[in-house]
Order: sequence, then structure tokens, then C-alpha cells
Amino acid sequence: MTAARQADPVLAKLRADLEVLDGEIVRLVALRVETARAIGAHKRAAGVPTLDAPREAAVIRRAAAAARDAALPEEPLRAIFWQLVELCRRAQEEV
Amino acid sequence: MIIIARTALPGPELDGIREFVERHGLRTHVSHGTDRTVIGCVGDARAIDPHAVRALPGVEEVIPVRKPYRLASREFVAGRTVIPLGDRRGTLIGGPQLVVAAGPCSVEGRAMLLETATAVRASGARMLRGGAFKPRTSPWVFQGLGVEALELLAEARAATGLPVVTEVMDPRQVELVAAHADVLQIGARNMQNYALLAEVGRVRRPVLLKRGLSATVSELLLAAEHVMAQGNRDVILCERGIRTFETATRNTLDVGAVAVLKLETHLPVIVDPSHAAGRADLVAPLAFAAVAAGADGLIVEVHPRPSEARSDGDQSLTPAVFDDLMRALAPFAAAAGRTLDDEAPREPRARVA
Repeated sequence: MTAARQADPVLAKLRADLEVLDGEIVRLVALRVETARAIGAHKRAAGVPTLDAPREAAVIRRAAAAARDAALPEEPLRAIFWQLVELCRRAQEEV
Repeated sequence: MIIIARTALPGPELDGIREFVERHGLRTHVSHGTDRTVIGCVGDARAIDPHAVRALPGVEEVIPVRKPYRLASREFVAGRTVIPLGDRRGTLIGGPQLVVAAGPCSVEGRAMLLETATAVRASGARMLRGGAFKPRTSPWVFQGLGVEALELLAEARAATGLPVVTEVMDPRQVELVAAHADVLQIGARNMQNYALLAEVGRVRRPVLLKRGLSATVSELLLAAEHVMAQGNRDVILCERGIRTFETATRNTLDVGAVAVLKLETHLPVIVDPSHAAGRADLVAPLAFAAVAAGADGLIVEVHPRPSEARSDGDQSLTPAVFDDLMRALAPFAAAAGRTLDDEAPREPRARVA
């Protein structure tokens, strides 16, 4: 990277904005994991299995539809949500 | 299981089919073709009633998969995979163009690399090959220049515009090699190194996957499957000769495997006649056979002074012989419905005796 590009104030501002957004995304993922743990504890108390494949499929379908509404590419959004769903399922199992 | 659906299926209908499958714990991969939409289903499909899928809106056909590989299977996608190599000329592998990669077995220094790169480009090569990390059978011989070679390859790319393919041997080096190279090569000896395959599956660089010395076609496709399962669908398969009882050639070029792969998979297939032959004088006939069998490209070893090469000198062509090879390939390419480089001027030249 050249020094000129590093010193570009517009780029620096946009990158700072991205960093704020990244922090927000991580905060929301942590919140989702926390909620999943609560669900995991509740399922355990109720004697319900953690894995609920139909529910996971419904979450992905809703994310795909939301991606289309937001004019975002659907497949990458699906992939991100599968990662999220798997992360939260593991969190449920760890309770 | 593969579901064939109508083309231009509205989003909610496609979502409905995918949700139905995913409710059973499977994952779906969609490929949109001109005359059909293919929904590939990965996972245990035994719990799904194919008749119920057939009854969903938009579904035209449900096909069970009996092959062990899925994502690499030709049934799984609507067309053939065409991979951009990332150069300014927009070279595509897997399309009508026959793509030839050429360069030294190992990057031995700046001058020899730039000399080779400039020469092979002028002869019509579309990609530069060169080893930085070399998996050698003996630990006591030259192992490659490593990071220094990666930097030289990047310099050669800047000088010639040729995209670079080089081997990555260790999962810990994938990021480093991906920062310098356009295509990541998995060598024959690492074809079943599943940790390495998974790691290159996570980066956004095409992967050139060489067939193992004793691997079957099915094992090669399953190795590709390991890369693709991580999200990287840009896999180029490479036949480079297998180990047989025959010793006249270094390895036995399995031309039949090229024809089989073209039927079984949508992925591009290239051939390495240099490693198969082990001798420079056999490289051309094996290259012709590969193109005739349907290969999408070739990867050829070229060294300015093969007698001085630090590895694989016996099978390396001089730039002049490589130029002869490129000229001689043209009619074979044309007969196979392929084009060779359309930019390099092909002036008649007196053949070097």
C-alpha cells in the first residue's frame, strides 16, 4: 500500500465507520449466543432436544427472504446465517 | 439427492424447496442454469421422501445420487465451472480457451524466473508456474527458496501480467501464499492432506489440485469435495501421471482419467505432461494426447538451462522447445474445439534443430 493511500482522509473515515459497525456486529452476535444459551437451559429443563432442524431451516429461510428485501446477495447471507445458527446451537449444547 | 426445478423460480418458491430439505438436517446448494435450476442436497437424504419433494411447487425432477462426491459432480450444477485466473486479460479456465501454464519447477533466482516468464508469455502461456516450497522425496535435496521465491513470483507477475500458480504445502502457509499467488496448487503428495484441503477451501483463490500418485479418479474428486465443502468452488483438477508397473516414463499419464473426469465433473481439468513423462522429449506427444482427450489446459515445466536446474531438469523444456510445442499444439487445440492464445503473434520461425 502506498503512503498516499494510507493518508487518504476519506478512506480513513470510511474505515473507522466500518470498525464501529464490526463492533456492533460482534455485540449482536454475543447477544444472540447469550439468548441461545437461555434457550438451551430452558430446553434442558423441559427435556427437549437441542437440535431442532425444522426451526433452523425456518431461520435460514427468513434470513434469505430478508436478504432479498435488502437487495443483498442471498447465498453469502445464507452462509453467514448457517454459521450463526451452528454457533448458537453449540452454545445451547454447552449450557 | 439432486432436485431439478424450473428456471426463474420466484424466490419464495425456491425458499420453500430449500426449507423442506433443510428441515431434515441437509444443506442445499443452488445452481442457476439457462434451462434449469439445480438444487444439490448434501447430507443424509434417507429421511426425505422423494415423492413429497416432487410434489413441491416448481420441482420438475428428483434424482438420487449414488456417487460418493456431490459438489464436484456434474449432476450437481447446471453448467461447467469456468474459473477466472484474475489477470487483466481476463483469462478463463474451463471455457473454450486452452490455457497453458508454464515455468520452472522451482524458482531458483530472479534472473532465471524473469527470463522464463518473459519467454513463455511470448510463446502464448497464460499462467506462470514456479515452485517456492518444494515437496521433495528426499529431505537432503533443494527444498525451494520459500518466501523469497513468492516475492520473485509476484515480481514476475507484475513484469509480464501472467497470473501465478505455486504450491502450498502447509496449512499455516496458505494465507502467505495466497497473498502472493493467483492460484494455489496442492501437490500430488498432498492430495489427501485434508487439513490443507480445508484451509485452501476457506480462501478466495482458485485451487489447482493435482492427482495423487496412487489416487483413483473418485479419490481425486473426493479431495476436491473437501475443498469445495469449505466454500471455495473454484477447483481445477490436474492429471499428472500415476504410479504403475511401467518404468519407461516417470509416471503413467492416465489420459483415460481426463475423459472420465470430463464426464463426471463440471470442474476444469488440466494435464501436467512434464511430471508424467519425466523426459523432455515425451512432453509434446503427451500434451497432444491430453488436448485430444478434452483437457482444458496444460501445465508445463520450462527452464532456460535445464541441465543446470536444481530440480526436475530432465523433464524441463527450453524456452525454444516450449515455443515449438505451442506452435505444434495449435492444430490439436483446433481439432478439440479449443482456441490457443489469440494475442501472441505467431510469426513463422525457422525450427530449431
